[in-house]
Amino acid sequence: MSTATPGEVLSFRSRRGTKREYETVMILRPETNKDGILDLIYRMQAVFKNTRAHLLKIDNWGTRTLAFPIKRCQKGIYMYWRFLGGSDVVAEFERNLRNLDVVIRYHTVKVDDDVDPNARPSEVTEEIINVVAEPLPEPEEEPMPEPSDDDAMRDDEYFPEELQGGGLGGTGDED
Amino acid sequence: MDDRDRDRDRDRDRDRGDRGDRSERGERGGKSKRSFRVTNEKTLVIDYKNPQLLKHFLTDRGKLVPARISGLSARSQRQLTIAIKRARLLALLPYTVT
Repeated sequence: MSTATPGEVLSFRSRRGTKREYETVMILRPETNKDGILDLIYRMQAVFKNTRAHLLKIDNWGTRTLAFPIKRCQKGIYMYWRFLGGSDVVAEFERNLRNLDVVIRYHTVKVDDDVDPNARPSEVTEEIINVVAEPLPEPEEEPMPEPSDDDAMRDDEYFPEELQGGGLGGTGDED
Repeated sequence: MDDRDRDRDRDRDRDRGDRGDRSERGERGGKSKRSFRVTNEKTLVIDYKNPQLLKHFLTDRGKLVPARISGLSARSQRQLTIAIKRARLLALLPYTVT
């Protein structure tokens, strides 16, 4: 059972002692160095400590080219966070992200409900944090296909040639 | 009464056959000759963090492909739509390609 401070309202789920699992993908400025990422991680860990949440997993996807510029940045460092907490942790977490200049975009998704926190211990250690904070090179990405001049809603334009008659999960119908 | 209705329906179908179906008349909505169907939908894991998979369900202009072309069920199409919109928000996929 979770303990409450005087005057704090607990939900039924918090009285049961279960928590929610969230994942956040955030984009950092491409010029962010290791110290900037470490500062971000330690700040967010303090937020988790204050909200009785804990970090499950953290990952650095490296520097990627954005599909469109965000805050005049063509590239960004993608980070993936997975944490366990109550319903109040996301608001506090995102409030802190909003105040940081190094974070240009973030998006949080609820993964699971009613998770036993004892069954999901934290996988994050100091060594992992140091590895994650290291800036990674940009992975090789496939370029988007060139658009055609005619934007008519024809079925022929929906898929590239290499997917005709095959592809994901099975073969298509051949007429 | 049922026989007369059946005869009337048969006549209606015969008239439509003379004109040809919608695809032969060039109208939209007819079955595409080059349509693509996802057959093993159960093995498809739709995740917004996987833009390499999601981009196959976009047109060359970056638009969402409708379910009648992708062959997904209504439930999978809804999941796909949510995943693509999340990926667009995170700049993993474009909103439009110019």
